[in-house]
Amino acid sequence: MSKKSKTITGILIILVFLTIGFMSFMDSKIEYVNFDEAKNRMRTVEVKGQWVKGKESKFDAVTNTFSFYMVDDFNREMKVVLDGAKPNNFDVAEAVVAKGKMKDGYFHAKDVLTKCPSKYEADGKEVKMSGS
Amino acid sequence: MIGKVLIHIFFITAVLSCVSFFLTHLGKEKFLKFGRLFYHITAVGILSTAAYLMYLILTHQFQFAYIWEQSSTDLQLPLLMSTFYSGQEGSFMLWTTMTAIIGIFLLNYVSKGDRLEPQVMSVFTLIIAFLGFILILKSPFLYVWEKFAGDVEYGYIPAEGRGLNPLLQNFWIVIHPPTLFVGFSSLAAPFCFAIGTLMKNRYDDWIKFSMPWLLFSGMILGLGIMMGGYWAYGVLGWGGYWAWDPVENSSFIPWLIIVAAIHTMIAQKRTGGYKKTNLMLCITSYLLVLYSTFLTRSGILGDSSVHSFVDPGYEVYLSLIVFISLFTLISIFAIVYRYRNLKALTAGTNKMLTRESTLFIGSITLCAAALVILAGTSWPIFSKGSIDADFYNKMNLPIAILIALINGISLLLKWKQDDEKRFFKSLIFPLTLAFIVTIGLVIIGVQDFLIALFALASLFTFFVNAELAVNAFRKKNSSIGAYIAHLGLALVFLGIIASSKYSKEENLSLELNKPVDAFGYRLTYMGATPFEDPNNKTDIKYHFNVRVEKDNKELVLQPVMYYSEYSKGLMKNPDIANFATKDFYLAPMGLVEPEIFSEDEMHELKKGEERKIGELTVQFSDFDFGNIQQGGKEIQSGNYSIGALLKVKDSKFIENLEPKIKYTDGTAEYMVAKISGNDQYSFYFVKMSVQGEDLGGPTATIAIVNKKNISQKPRTDETLVLTASIKPFINVLWTGTGILVLGFFLSILKRRKELKK
Repeated sequence: MSKKSKTITGILIILVFLTIGFMSFMDSKIEYVNFDEAKNRMRTVEVKGQWVKGKESKFDAVTNTFSFYMVDDFNREMKVVLDGAKPNNFDVAEAVVAKGKMKDGYFHAKDVLTKCPSKYEADGKEVKMSGS
Repeated sequence: MIGKVLIHIFFITAVLSCVSFFLTHLGKEKFLKFGRLFYHITAVGILSTAAYLMYLILTHQFQFAYIWEQSSTDLQLPLLMSTFYSGQEGSFMLWTTMTAIIGIFLLNYVSKGDRLEPQVMSVFTLIIAFLGFILILKSPFLYVWEKFAGDVEYGYIPAEGRGLNPLLQNFWIVIHPPTLFVGFSSLAAPFCFAIGTLMKNRYDDWIKFSMPWLLFSGMILGLGIMMGGYWAYGVLGWGGYWAWDPVENSSFIPWLIIVAAIHTMIAQKRTGGYKKTNLMLCITSYLLVLYSTFLTRSGILGDSSVHSFVDPGYEVYLSLIVFISLFTLISIFAIVYRYRNLKALTAGTNKMLTRESTLFIGSITLCAAALVILAGTSWPIFSKGSIDADFYNKMNLPIAILIALINGISLLLKWKQDDEKRFFKSLIFPLTLAFIVTIGLVIIGVQDFLIALFALASLFTFFVNAELAVNAFRKKNSSIGAYIAHLGLALVFLGIIASSKYSKEENLSLELNKPVDAFGYRLTYMGATPFEDPNNKTDIKYHFNVRVEKDNKELVLQPVMYYSEYSKGLMKNPDIANFATKDFYLAPMGLVEPEIFSEDEMHELKKGEERKIGELTVQFSDFDFGNIQQGGKEIQSGNYSIGALLKVKDSKFIENLEPKIKYTDGTAEYMVAKISGNDQYSFYFVKMSVQGEDLGGPTATIAIVNKKNISQKPRTDETLVLTASIKPFINVLWTGTGILVLGFFLSILKRRKELKK
C-alpha cells in the first residue's frame, strides 16, 4: 500500500469505528440520578442510596426477585425490586447502587452493587478487639 | 524498622543505578559497572524486603497493621502466603518484587551483545525507583500503633489478625495475582526497549531482541487474565467468566496493545516498515498498565465496580498521577526529540494484498478494541455515571469478526507482494470447510446473523491455521508457534460463541426431597450438611446437596452457602458438573425457610379498616410508633419496635389489643397479644407497609393463629433456590486458552533461537 492509501484506509476504519462507537456509547451510557429524576427517564439509570433496614426486605422464590426499600441521597424513599437474590454483603453495605428503571411505582433493578469500605478499612477499635 | 529501612535502601540504590546507567548512556562508560552493581544491590534489597514481609506473615506478627488487616492464624500455608498481596500495600510490594526479578533477567539479557543496556536499564531502574517511592508512602511495615495512632497505644500486639476476606479464600488467589503481576511487570521491558531505542536513535535491531519479551508478556498476561475469568466462573459464581468489570478491562487493554505490537513488529522485521507504529505500541502498552493501576487503585471508580476499591490516601493518589504523567512526558519528550529522525524513516511496501498490510490492519483492529474498552472503562472519571456492560459486547463483536477474518487472510498472503490468483485459490479449502460447518451450526440453532458470521470467521481462521500447523509440523518448521496460538484464539472465539450466546438458564425452587426437572436433568435437594473449612474456623459452611439424575446416572452437586462473620453476609459458591460437551452449573441464590405464619392466617388491613375474620371482627386503627419518628434514624438502623392498635370484637366482648414487632438489626421478632381470658387466638403484627395514598395507603399485616387449627396446618419444607444453567462447549474456551498460551511459548523458543544465530 502506498503511504497515502494506507493513511486513507486507516482514517476510514477509525471514522467508522468512532461513529458506531459513539452511537452505541450514547446508547449504553448510564447516568447517576436520584429517584425523582429516575421517574422522568425512560432508560436505565443508577441510583445511589441506603437500604432502609427497618422496612421489609424479602426474596420471592416464585418471581426470583429480592425487594427492599431504599432512600436516595436526597432522602426520597422507594421500593426496589431486584431481579435475583439478595446481593453479597448487602447487610453490611454502607451504600448501595441500584441499576435499573422505574416501573409501576417501584424501581426495577437489574443489578445492585454494595459498597462497604468499612470492611476493608479497619479502625483502631477493631485492633483492640481482635483475639479477645 | 527493618522493613522500612530496606525500602529506603533499595529506593536510593535504584536512583543511583538509574543515574549511573544514564551517565553511561551519555558516554561515561566507566559508570556502567556502577549501574550494574547498584541494580544488583537494588534487586537483592527488594527480594530481602519481600522475604522479610513473608517471614513476618508466616510468623503472625500482628503488630504490623498490614498483616493484622489481611491475615490470621487459622489460614493454611498457601492462603497464608497469599495474604502477602491480598491488600493494597502488599500488592504494590508484589508488583515491585516481580519487576525486580524480571530486571535481573533483563540486565543479564541486555548486557550480552549490543542490546541498548545503558538506555534500557536507565529507564527500567527509574520504574523501580518509582515503585519504591510508592512503597515508602504506602508501606506494609506500618505498626498498628502508627496506623491507628490515638486508638492503639505504643507497643500493643493484637493476639489475632482480622483474616483474609472470604471471597478471596480459594486456590485461585494463590496463583492468579502473581501471574497477572508477572505480566504487568514484564510489560516494562518492551517500554524500556522502545524508549531506549529512541535514546540511542537506532530503529532497526531493537525489535529482534525485544520480541521474546513481548511474547513472554503476551503469554503470561493472557494466562493471568483467563485465570481470573475461571476464578469468577468456577468459584465466585458470577455465572460467566467475563463481566467487563473495570479491573478485568484494565488488564485486558494492555494485552490487546502488546499483541498488536507483536504483529506489527513481525511486519517490521520482514519489510522494514512500521517502525514508528512499533515504538508507539510498546510505549502505550506500559503507559496503559500504569493507567490501569491508577484506575483500579485510586478509588476513582469506587461506584462502578464489583471489585473493592479503597481510597489509598492522598499521597498515593498523587504519586500515581505523577508516576503516569512523568512516564508519559518522558515518552512524548523522547518522540519529539527524535521527531526528525522518525519522520525520515522509510515506509513499508505498496501492495494492499500482502501479509504486512493485513498485519497492520489487524493491529489497528486490535487497537480499536482496546480503545473501545478504554473509553468505556474511563467514562466514570469524566461523568456522573457508568457504561452498560452490553456496550462492550455490541462493540467488540464486529471487531472480533474482523480480527478472525484478517487473521486467516493474512496467513494465506505472502510478504511484500503476492499473486492474487494463488491467494484466492488458497482461500477455497478453509472457506469451504468453514461454510459447511457454519451451515450446520445455523441448522442446529445459530440464527443470529452477526453470531453466525462470527462463527464463520472463527472457523475460517481455525481451518487456515490447522492446515498451516499440520504442514509446519511435517516440515518441522519453527513458525508452528504462531499457528498454534491462532488455533487457540479461534477455539477461544468458538467457545465464547457457544458458552455465552447459547447458554440456557433457569431459576429453580427446590423443596426438600421433591424432584424438579430442568434441561432434561432431574434435580432433588437433599438437605444441607455442614463441613469444615481448614482455612476458616469462624464460620460454619454448608454444602447444599443436590442430586442430579439423567438416564439412570446420577451425581451429587454441592453448591456452598454460609454466613460470613467477616463480610456480615451470605456467601455463595457454585458447583459445576463438567461434561465433555457442556457444563451443568448450579449457582445457589438462597434458602427459603418455612414461613412462620401460613397464608390464610395473615390478613392485610388498611388503616381504619374493619374486617370479619372467622367469628371475630378486627379493626386496625393505627400504628403505635411510640416516640420514634416515622422514617427516622431508628427505622433506618433497624433497631426499634412498633405496634399495631387493634380493636377485636366478638358477640360477647370488645377488646383493644396491641401486638408488636421488635426489630434487632433488621431481624423481626413478633410479640404475641391475646384476648384476656381467652387462649384460643394469638394475635401477631407481621409487617407494616407505609406506601402513599396513591398505592392504597398504609397497611398492617396481622396474623391470627387459631389454636384449634395448628395441628392440621400443612407445613412447607425448606426450599433451596438456585440458578441452574447449561454452558455448552465451555471446555472449548479453556482448551483454546491453553493452546493459545502454548503457541506463545513455542514462539518464544523460536525467537530465542533466531537470536542465537
